[in-house]
Amino acid sequence: MELEKEEILSAIHHCVKCKLCSIASFHPNEEWLPLCPSGEYYGYQAFYAPGKMEIFRAILEGEITEPSEGLLKSVYACTVCGACYEKCKQITSVELGAPELFEEMRREMASKGWILDVHTSIADKIKETKNAYGEKYEYKVNAETTDGNADVLYYIGCTARYRVPEIADAMLGIFDKLGLKYQVMGEEWCCGSVLFRTGQVEAAKELVAHNVEEIKRSGAKTVVFTCPGCLKTFEKNYPDMGVELLHSTQFLTRQGNMNLKKEGLKAAYHDPCHLGRDLGIYEEPRAVLSEVADIKKMKREREQAWCCGSGGGVKSAFDDFALWSAAERLKEAKEAGAEALVSACPFCKRNLKEAAEKEQQGELEVYDIVELVNRCLEG
Amino acid sequence: MNETFSTLVKELQAIVGERNATDDRAICTSYSRDQHWHFVPAKNPACIVRPGNKEEVRTVLMLANTHKIPVIPYSTGINVRGLTIPVHDGSILLDLSRMNRILEINPDMKTATVEPGVTFGMLQEQTRKYKLRPAFPDAPLTVSVLANYYLRGIYQTSATDGHDHTISYEMILPNGETLKTGSRALSEMPYFRYGVGPDFAGMFCAHPGTCGVVTELTAKLYRLYDNRKEYFIGFDDVGTPTKFIYNLMHDELAASIRLVDNQSWLKGIFGTFDYPYEELPKFVLCVLVEGVDGIFDAKDTLVRAYMKECGGQVLELPAEFASTFEHESLSGAEKSCMVFGIKGRGNYHCIGLYGPLTLAAKYYEMHEKTALEVGIPQDHVHFYIDPIYRFHGQLCYFELDVFYDGSDEEFGDKLRNYNEKQFHRLLELGIYGWFRPYAGIIEPTAERIGYLAEVWKKFLHVLDPNEIMNRGKLF
Repeated sequence: MELEKEEILSAIHHCVKCKLCSIASFHPNEEWLPLCPSGEYYGYQAFYAPGKMEIFRAILEGEITEPSEGLLKSVYACTVCGACYEKCKQITSVELGAPELFEEMRREMASKGWILDVHTSIADKIKETKNAYGEKYEYKVNAETTDGNADVLYYIGCTARYRVPEIADAMLGIFDKLGLKYQVMGEEWCCGSVLFRTGQVEAAKELVAHNVEEIKRSGAKTVVFTCPGCLKTFEKNYPDMGVELLHSTQFLTRQGNMNLKKEGLKAAYHDPCHLGRDLGIYEEPRAVLSEVADIKKMKREREQAWCCGSGGGVKSAFDDFALWSAAERLKEAKEAGAEALVSACPFCKRNLKEAAEKEQQGELEVYDIVELVNRCLEG
Repeated sequence: MNETFSTLVKELQAIVGERNATDDRAICTSYSRDQHWHFVPAKNPACIVRPGNKEEVRTVLMLANTHKIPVIPYSTGINVRGLTIPVHDGSILLDLSRMNRILEINPDMKTATVEPGVTFGMLQEQTRKYKLRPAFPDAPLTVSVLANYYLRGIYQTSATDGHDHTISYEMILPNGETLKTGSRALSEMPYFRYGVGPDFAGMFCAHPGTCGVVTELTAKLYRLYDNRKEYFIGFDDVGTPTKFIYNLMHDELAASIRLVDNQSWLKGIFGTFDYPYEELPKFVLCVLVEGVDGIFDAKDTLVRAYMKECGGQVLELPAEFASTFEHESLSGAEKSCMVFGIKGRGNYHCIGLYGPLTLAAKYYEMHEKTALEVGIPQDHVHFYIDPIYRFHGQLCYFELDVFYDGSDEEFGDKLRNYNEKQFHRLLELGIYGWFRPYAGIIEPTAERIGYLAEVWKKFLHVLDPNEIMNRGKLF
């Protein structure tokens, strides 16, 4: 374990189970707005933060000795979105957060072999193909537009490479349209996010070592990410490489006037958990989006945003739950008067778009910010 | 889990749906402990059942009754007295949180009818549309309206609401029969508490799930006024402000009147940790005046007049403190839970009791004395008073609080010693009653109430002859 047992138990004992962590701040608007997708969907206490902490206590104290179905589900059907912690710390100023505890819980469980097959199969795929989807083809980047000596390196990430390539295409389009020099990694391996988030820390070590080496070799001074999951992993789980790590929206706000053509699209902005709650990046995405669209504010946003439902290994293991969470978010965007729901994360986009197509019959468009920026850039 | 129990779980799943009943060890563990764990140790229920309607509740109860299996009703799961932690092995925990419909808000009658899973937040969201509100406990607005009113109808954040918020309810007994109290028994109008014969609503209430399962409850709603004004007055002791409190209560001038110490609840009432509370007088009386035009002005004038002669120091504080106090008093307690974040502590112990204002100083003195005797440091000793209208008997709710580090086992021992002494001492000094019946408090109390204890037990036996309802939580 990374945290000491006593430290964990102390944090668990500090939870008085008020369950205010399960709703967004009630005052002053006095609206009952749930915050915990897992608890709302599954209902049992085990799926809310206080119940999960109790389970962790029982594991540490040797009361739970087998990986029951309910144990695996309650622990892994959680996006580790951190909304509970954001609320809790406002009220109780608690220092050790629930996401940290829950990731530790997963590490502890993984060390006992208490892990979902679907998550170990992802580890197997990564081992074999170096991407989380087990794809054997390469995402094609136009070699003529890249510059191996550029100071900026775009780390594409598995999801933008293999599931929502329109995001990678858009980011590359932006580099080209703005006339910015950039490079991509010759051999980009999965950042390891899914392994860290599902407790398979050992399996991630090889990936970290490779990516660190590649980035050092590239000579890049800045690494740009369209995926907040990758960015978070580099920020929190990688050694300091002496390079600047930026999300695409942070990078874009530095470009000054980009001559963007505003389309008048009414768009709600969905804060990705890794970008907002984990990295505290709330302003830049809004600043960029406001350049290309009219932002419609949703009720739950920033620290208290409702998670899209796909993170923490949930999308791969509990897709129905992931899609339900996304559909809830789409409803909220629609209620806000939006025509489109815009995020800044390939994983969010993928899940939200699937839900829009399945549950909402495509009533709302779903985009990543870089897609809109690319579209609105005078080429 | 033995084979018989596995069969039972299957039967329960057949009633409530496969997804809503489980004996999974981990899921059961998540119900095994509440905030009161230093006093009621963790214990797993044998299974969790989540009915979606009253017919499912009835069928589950009848099944449990047939097999004499203990049943623990559980509403939304925020509990501070171990009341839903099993005493016996093989208990069914009946999680009622799926039953979360607001069945009616009747602005003309000023009532709301709710199921057990409705929280104060859910209800306030709807009632405020009619400029009405429920009476709020000083508990997180995630708690169940029904369970709180049923367990004890006396609450604290607004003195003016008085102490009887429950009008009528419907309860399903272990044998499957339904009991309806008040006018609910006679008609479709559940709006009057005293329908037939004795006050049955009163007889069944304050039982921690030991009679049956309450599936619907009709409660009073209270008016929200536009005119409001807050005052904060500092005092160095508990005795001095009692005259002022008496005057405010006697003339029925203020909605919320709360005397708190400057290191605990005041932080929640003001909504911030970031203030030099230690520079304030040791006790602060928070007063909120409200009312319609004309009456509000008259009340406010009188409050100011009493304030001049109260012997305290009128405090000038940031405007947002007043606003938070308003929200916490009249729209549900949220920031009040900051008491759980008092640095390095994270848990609290309290003895909640009802008694006369005349004994306020003595209760505090005894609280300090007993705490120090068992080794609880002075800076962990906290206190508050909430007077309650109509103030017959100078009725107040008192809380003798200790905030502490929940992970400190030794402190838990001190608190158990504290309880041992303090329950008896308070009974000797004189109280009107306890906040709620719970482990440790019911035993010394039952010893003192003579034949009433026997009648009480027989009464419960009539309702629940097989003793399946939260067995062991009372007697």
